[in-house]
Amino acid sequence: MNDHRSVSIIMIEDDEGHARLIEKNIRRAGILNDIRHFTDGTSALDYLFNHADGPALNGPALVLLDLNLPDMSGTDILARIKGAPALKRTPVVILTTTDDKMEIQRCYDLGCNVYITKPVNYESFAQAIRQLGLFLSVIKVPDIEGEG
Amino acid sequence: MLSGILRRLGLADQSIGRVLIACMVIGFASLVAAGMAAIWSTGRNQLHIQAVNHTYEVELAIARAGLLIEQGETTRRGYIIARQPVYLESYRATAAQIPVALRRIEQLTMDNPREQANLARLRALVADIEQHRDQTNALVTAGKTDAAVRAFVEDTTAQRMGTIRELGQAMDREERALLAIRDAEQQASVRAFYITISIASALLLFVAVASFLTVRRYTRDLAASHDTLRDFADSLEDLVAERTADLTRANEEIQRFAYIVSHDLRAPLVNVMGFTAELDAATVAINELVDRLERTAPEIDTADARVAAREDLPEAIGFIRTSSQKMDRLINAILKLSREGRRVIAPEKIDATALVGSVRDTLQHLIDDRGARLVIEGTLPDIVSDRLALEQIFSNLIENAIKYLQPDRPGLIEVRGARQGARITYEVNDNGRGIAPADHQRVFDLFRRSGNQDQPGEGIGLAHVRALAYRLGGVIDVRSDLGKGASFRLSLPATLTEVQGN
Repeated sequence: MNDHRSVSIIMIEDDEGHARLIEKNIRRAGILNDIRHFTDGTSALDYLFNHADGPALNGPALVLLDLNLPDMSGTDILARIKGAPALKRTPVVILTTTDDKMEIQRCYDLGCNVYITKPVNYESFAQAIRQLGLFLSVIKVPDIEGEG
Repeated sequence: MLSGILRRLGLADQSIGRVLIACMVIGFASLVAAGMAAIWSTGRNQLHIQAVNHTYEVELAIARAGLLIEQGETTRRGYIIARQPVYLESYRATAAQIPVALRRIEQLTMDNPREQANLARLRALVADIEQHRDQTNALVTAGKTDAAVRAFVEDTTAQRMGTIRELGQAMDREERALLAIRDAEQQASVRAFYITISIASALLLFVAVASFLTVRRYTRDLAASHDTLRDFADSLEDLVAERTADLTRANEEIQRFAYIVSHDLRAPLVNVMGFTAELDAATVAINELVDRLERTAPEIDTADARVAAREDLPEAIGFIRTSSQKMDRLINAILKLSREGRRVIAPEKIDATALVGSVRDTLQHLIDDRGARLVIEGTLPDIVSDRLALEQIFSNLIENAIKYLQPDRPGLIEVRGARQGARITYEVNDNGRGIAPADHQRVFDLFRRSGNQDQPGEGIGLAHVRALAYRLGGVIDVRSDLGKGASFRLSLPATLTEVQGN
């Protein structure tokens, strides 16, 4: 468990309500990892690449990414993450309202690991998040090259 | 713009027509005037020639009379000198001719009183001189030659012949004067003729120049109008292209708008649903608390809290939930329509009978459920169009027909089709409950329904059908009366050539 707790969850989601619901359900699934929440792309990227505790400089992380952000498109962030050598192995879970096939395909092409559509139906939503928690509890987040 | 050009052209036509007609009239008038002047001039010429001839005839007659009188004198002298009867004979012959010559003058100068007067004087003189001549001749015949010579000398001194000669010259002068007047008249008429001809020529020249200028201006105007029209046609094409581009842009804008709106509406809805569920979960805890309070501390009045926890909260949560579910369905409908609008249309040859048959197979359970019957009349005409769109149209129309049957009679749905030139009309007819004429337009609008709301649905089926029909270059309308069934008529191009979409 120690191994898993060290993985911090970075949630990039502009909707406070969604963020809260996601967090609640992740906790209900028994995941106790540290969750850092960002409501815009700029500060999230800044944290990812430059912050001392950020995944680029310090340890493994998992990114929960919404595609509709106020300052940039989520696919841009995805491309930046997957294009950076220090971050390209960081798992990215896309969590968004878009169920456009082209958009989903594009995200997978860019290297996203999981794509989850936020269902309006809350039970399905909670279900999806809990399954994500299950997924998080078994996933082995790879170490960053050259780092401990 | 077009009517302006036409009006301008029409006016130019009229005025040019008038100018040309005026030119022709003036030209013909000039020609007629010239012709008449020529005729008149020729007539005048003829008269003048006659007058000149007349003058010469008069002069000739005067000369002849003068000659005869001189001959009479000569023969008298000869008779006096030679006393030969042959001279007397000759004299008599000459004297006999003098009255004839004088009558000739008289006839020729009937119209001239002055010449008549001269002639009268001449006659008197001639009569006088003849009397003297006869006397001298008689004296010669009688042999009294001396007396005859005396009489002759007396005659000579009396200057009778001289007077006659002067008179003859005066008559000649008179005729010459007349001829001069006639010559002047002739000159005047020739001048008038030339003036007339000159004016007519000038007019003709003017008409020719005016006609030429008018025709040239007309031709130039025509060419200019032609250019204007061509420019207009060109600009019209540009205009149409521009409008089409505008329309396409506007359409894309609407599609994007619908897409974005439906997506962005979804996000808050997730929250509404999510926190409603959280509230619902919280109610359970509150209910338990109220129950425990009732059991352990009945002295506290929990009636209000109980009503709130057990009735008001679940009711409110229920309404929020159903409303947000409905909103979700509506948003999904908009999303579906906007997706349909973005889909690329791919025309292909379609066996319509088989297509409707497959739709019938898909809906067979529903048809059986309602105890209805679906009949495809004969063979439907084949069409080149988008298969998926056509499938959705038929599927929606037939499903609607099944849903809105009249419960008291067995349902019968008929599908038929016919080709009219470049278009194909498909009809889906039913004997169901029908649509009131006031709602015929409304049923095609998004989220609008008609009649009893006893069937599930959001009012998007026919809106979808109409959007698809438009995309296939077609139209759809409905003919129906309440309680008498409905007939949906779909008119599509037989061959969809233009691939529309983004």
